[in-house]
Amino acid sequence: MQNAPVGVPSLSDMPQISPPAILAQHRTLPVVDELAGLFTDGGIRQGSTIEVTGVAATSLASALTIAVSRFGGWVAAVGLPTFGPSAASDLGIKLSRWAFVDHPGDQAGVVIHALTAGVDLILVGPDVKLRSDHGRKIVARMRERGASVITVGKAALCNLRPDLRLRVTQAMWTGIELGHGRLTSRKVEIERLGRGADSNLRRELVWLPNKEGRLNAFDRKNKPVNLSQSPHRVSKRLFDIDESVCRAS
Amino acid sequence: MTCDQLAVVVDNDRIVDITPAAIEYGITLGVRRREAQKLCADLQVVLNDEELSVRRFSSVIEALESVTPRIEITTGGRCSFPTRGPSRYFGGDQALAQTVVERTVSVLSAMFETDEVPNHIYPKVGVADSRFVAALAATSETSSRIQVVVSGGSAAFLAPFPVDVLVAKESPLSEAHDLVDVFRRLGLKTLGDISSLPNQELVARFGSPGLLAKQLAQGIDSRASLLHSISNVVSEESEIDPPTDHVETAVFVAKAFADRICQQLAAEGLACVRILVEVETEHGEISSRLWRHERRFTPIDITDRVRWQLEGWWKSEMAPTGSLSLVRLVVNETIPDSGCQLGFWGEKTANDERAIRSFTRIQGLLGPDSVTLVQRGGGRRLANIEQKVPFVAANFDPNRVVNLPESTDAPWPGRLPVPLPIAVLTQAKKLEVVDDDGRLVRVSGRGHMERNPAYFKSECLGAHLIIGWGGPWFLDERWWDSAKKIRQARFQFLLDNDTSHLCVIENGQWWLEASYE
Repeated sequence: MQNAPVGVPSLSDMPQISPPAILAQHRTLPVVDELAGLFTDGGIRQGSTIEVTGVAATSLASALTIAVSRFGGWVAAVGLPTFGPSAASDLGIKLSRWAFVDHPGDQAGVVIHALTAGVDLILVGPDVKLRSDHGRKIVARMRERGASVITVGKAALCNLRPDLRLRVTQAMWTGIELGHGRLTSRKVEIERLGRGADSNLRRELVWLPNKEGRLNAFDRKNKPVNLSQSPHRVSKRLFDIDESVCRAS
Repeated sequence: MTCDQLAVVVDNDRIVDITPAAIEYGITLGVRRREAQKLCADLQVVLNDEELSVRRFSSVIEALESVTPRIEITTGGRCSFPTRGPSRYFGGDQALAQTVVERTVSVLSAMFETDEVPNHIYPKVGVADSRFVAALAATSETSSRIQVVVSGGSAAFLAPFPVDVLVAKESPLSEAHDLVDVFRRLGLKTLGDISSLPNQELVARFGSPGLLAKQLAQGIDSRASLLHSISNVVSEESEIDPPTDHVETAVFVAKAFADRICQQLAAEGLACVRILVEVETEHGEISSRLWRHERRFTPIDITDRVRWQLEGWWKSEMAPTGSLSLVRLVVNETIPDSGCQLGFWGEKTANDERAIRSFTRIQGLLGPDSVTLVQRGGGRRLANIEQKVPFVAANFDPNRVVNLPESTDAPWPGRLPVPLPIAVLTQAKKLEVVDDDGRLVRVSGRGHMERNPAYFKSECLGAHLIIGWGGPWFLDERWWDSAKKIRQARFQFLLDNDTSHLCVIENGQWWLEASYE
């Protein structure tokens, strides 16, 4: 490197003088701690497609948006006319950052394409149909803009190829019996299947919802735990601060 | 200083006022001090002393208080008040303005000890529907010193004005120089051009400032319609013990108040635009003034107003005889804080503008009702609790309140217990619930069930075994109104495929209302 002209640094100096490159896979949308275990990067990779299926699919899909909506991001639900906002709000989402396009009809492709430019997470309902060329265009645009799509129901039905599949394999309600009690809380097991780095199987147990209608981690002693009291969850505190902000506003 | 002297007033290195003699040298408002001095070497430069001008102005305010008690001071030399009451009393807007001019002139002539008030400080009055229009009417270059814009005629009055007036000092958009620059380059030269643009496109291109510009151009006081009632009036007061003769002590107390008030308002997402400052002495003398800010008061602004008011009072003819014993600040007008600051977690406002733009685009494709937002009210049935309202870019507030506080806080006996179902059918679907022998399950008027539910049959979900059920819970709403009354019994069913549903029976017919998906 002695021949290098003055002013041009040697290659080994480059990391010090140039800002660290951020690879696409390191840009993630936040996910609450209870579900972060399902993601290799600890959050939803920007530009990725996630398929959510199983009994509690709608609940799980809205639980995935909690952190995004609370940290100032936008969420849009396309083709989910039956979505119950109150239940989702109890789960912890911030409803003021949600918008709904209930009946996109045959314009679904254009609608989702337009949304990728403006919102961070797009929920796509089970009845939404996309043409295959629309699907490809949308995926390209999502990568460019950093928006992610969560499909409630099979992603293949709307011509999108999922990067991550989340499936609710088991759901168990407590509190109700034959003729007495009422539905109080539901324990669900979520299974993750992915491609590439995410290809190893992961499972997570959560209360979706717990007695108060919230999302809650599940500890093996069959009791809902209060996360804010467990010491090893440091990042949880960020979430608490935000909650107090939400309450005050 | 007289008007034939060469002088300019400088604030923050920019010229804010010029004497007529200096204008002849080509000095204009807004240029730098150095440029002005280049044009005219023996120019006398006076630093802008807001405190002094407010103090001088306070004698005018005192005179005007005999016309109306609700005078709002914006800066030294500029004040406004609502005219509806006083103009009826004085016999019309013109007569009211005439009275205001007469009283101001008499004060000014006493102050300058002349019979003839010089032209450049002669009072100018504008009367109009909104504060922005009135300010323009008062300051515009016309022969008459009183200009009354007839009610409803604001848009026509404003149309010929150049877009530059949008960034005038009294405008809510006074910092949006970039926006006005773009307007000018797009060939939108007058306010009339802007008001002729369609709302949708204006929002899509410029976001909320664009819309505000249009509203200003049409003479709509958008800020007035956005007035928020503060949940509990924000006010701070404290006695000063022992009473003090020093203005600074009282100002120091007020500074702590101002910080607290701004913090409290910010927590509610509001900004203060009008504040009442009251000071009392131990002899019971009171000085009370309303202060207005065109954009928003910061704690420093509030403290400044308190200082100006106290200094003015102290040095006026009606100076108090006792020591200061009480300071009171009452916020009495606020606006939603529409993000003059960056969001808490980064650029939240840019984020919102992006989202608004794409929603507007979808509305253009599918119609105005296609994009909806949720509004939550109170009620016993899910359909009442959750309402979807069309997204309107025009009055969109990203930090809006989703839960209508009056109705969601109220107790609703008989409402659904949490957890709530997350899939709510827009149209309830018919279904059949039968017992082991295939007979329909019924509920009597007294809540008695003869048979136990065992099977669940529905067209959309198929036939399933019921492995858990709860109910009946009765809902008897509006029994006094034969058209709207609802009398039904609710059940929760847990089926053998792990799904659970909320169903109701009404007049012997079962309905599927929602699912806990």
